[in-house]
Amino acid sequence: MARQIVVERGGTTSAFDFAKVDRSKLYGRRRRVPLDPTGEPCTRASLSEDGTVLVRSGMTAQGYYTDEGHWVPNGELVSLDEAGQPKEPVKTTLGEPQALDGPFGPERVLDLVPHALYALTPADVDEALVASLRAGEVYELPFAYRTGYIEDTALLVAGEQGELFALVGRIVEPIWREAEERIPSVLEDDGDDDGDLDFEMF
Amino acid sequence: MPAPQRKLHLTNSGGRDATVLFGSLKARRGATLGLPGKTVRFRRFVSAAASGLHDALAEAHGEDYAEALVQGDPEIDLEVVGRPLGETAQVYLAHDGEVLHAPPSWVEVIYGPDGEEKERRPPEDREGNVSGDLPVRWTGRKIGKGEAIRRFVFTRTLQLTHQDGLTYDYLHGIAQELAEENVLVMMGGGPKGRDPLVFQTNGSPYRGFLEGRVDGARYQLLLHLSNMELKRPEEPAAAVKDSTAVKDSTAAKENT
Repeated sequence: MARQIVVERGGTTSAFDFAKVDRSKLYGRRRRVPLDPTGEPCTRASLSEDGTVLVRSGMTAQGYYTDEGHWVPNGELVSLDEAGQPKEPVKTTLGEPQALDGPFGPERVLDLVPHALYALTPADVDEALVASLRAGEVYELPFAYRTGYIEDTALLVAGEQGELFALVGRIVEPIWREAEERIPSVLEDDGDDDGDLDFEMF
Repeated sequence: MPAPQRKLHLTNSGGRDATVLFGSLKARRGATLGLPGKTVRFRRFVSAAASGLHDALAEAHGEDYAEALVQGDPEIDLEVVGRPLGETAQVYLAHDGEVLHAPPSWVEVIYGPDGEEKERRPPEDREGNVSGDLPVRWTGRKIGKGEAIRRFVFTRTLQLTHQDGLTYDYLHGIAQELAEENVLVMMGGGPKGRDPLVFQTNGSPYRGFLEGRVDGARYQLLLHLSNMELKRPEEPAAAVKDSTAVKDSTAAKENT
C-alpha cells in the first residue's frame, strides 16, 4: 500500500493519499535545445580550466576529501548541525501520525519557502479538519519524506475549489528593517563644541 | 539574510518611483555532511579518459572487452585520471562528438502537461524588467492574504530594503499602507505595467505580490513571487480513455 500523510488533531487521526504536483503537470514546459550545423541536437561537455581535458559525460567522479587529501567513504560521513555536532537521523513521517499545530492564518503560508507541493486525497479523514481547512485555516506538521537528515515543515491548505494540498518547505523569518541600518554612523559628540564657527580650519 | 545588493525600480500607490535593494529570503541550511571535528571538502575529479569510455573501448576491443580490461588496463590513462576538476568552461559537441567552434543554433521545444511535444519554434529572448528605466508598477489590483494563499503557490519571496533615508520613508510608507489594509498588491512589469516580472534575461516570469508588515518604525516589505496556481492537474486524457476502455471491454465481455 502506498504511504500516506497521517495527521492527528484533538485525538482524531486523518490519513491522506498524496501526489506531487509541479508546474509542468499544470502548464507543460519548454526546453531550449542546442543544434549543430547539420540541425542535430548537440551534447554538452566541459573543458578543464587549462584547456587540456575535454570532459564528456561519464568521465568524472566526486567525493569528500580531508585537508590531507584522503578520500572519506560515504559510509563514514555523518550529518552535522550548524555547530558541527553530529545530528541524529530523522525518521520518515509518512505513515506515522503527526501532531498538527494550528490553526494558523495565511501569513504562515507566506513565511514558507516551499520546495514541493502535494495534492491530497482524503482516505480516512476527520470531517471537522477538512471543514476547517476549507474555511481557510492552515495547519502545520513536521515532514520528512524519507528517513535521513532532512526535516521540513508541511502546511495543509485548501485551494479555491476546496481541494486539499500540502506545501512542503522551510519557514523563514524576514528581518525587520530599520531606518538607521543604512545610514553611516557619525562620531559621538565629545561636548567641546563651543558654538564658534572656525574658518581658520579651511 | 545576506545584505541585499540587487536593485529594484518600483512605483508606489501614488505613482512615485524609487530604486531600492532586494535579496531572496532563503531558509536556513539544514544538516551538512562531514566528519565531527574535521574539515572535509567536496571534490570532483576525472575518473576516466575519453579512451576509457564504453564506446571507445568497444570500438578498440569489441563489445566483449572485459578480458582486455583485466589484461592490459586500457581504460586507465595515468596522464588524465585522478586530475581534480575546478572551474570548467561549457562547450557543445556536434552529433558526431566533435567540439563546436561556433555557437550552436537553438530551438525551443514546447511540451504539453501530458509530456507530449506540442511545438518547435525559434526561441525569443526575454529581457529582465525589474531594474531598468521602466519601473515595476503598482497595479492597484489588491487581493486578501487568505484568498492569495488559496489561489497561488508562492515559490520565491524577495525582501525589499532601503538604501538611504529617503527610500526608508518610501518603503515604510508602502508597508504601512498594505499592512493597514491587510492585503497584497500585484506588481507588474513592462511598458504597461501589467507584464510578469522577469529578474534576468531569459529568466522565469513570475507574478509578483507585495506584502507589507510594520512594527512601529520597523518594516518588512516582501515581494512574493508565483509562477503557478494552487490547483490539481487535470486528469490525463489517456486515463479517461483507459477507464472508458475498461468499461468498453467489460461491456464487450458482457456482450459476448
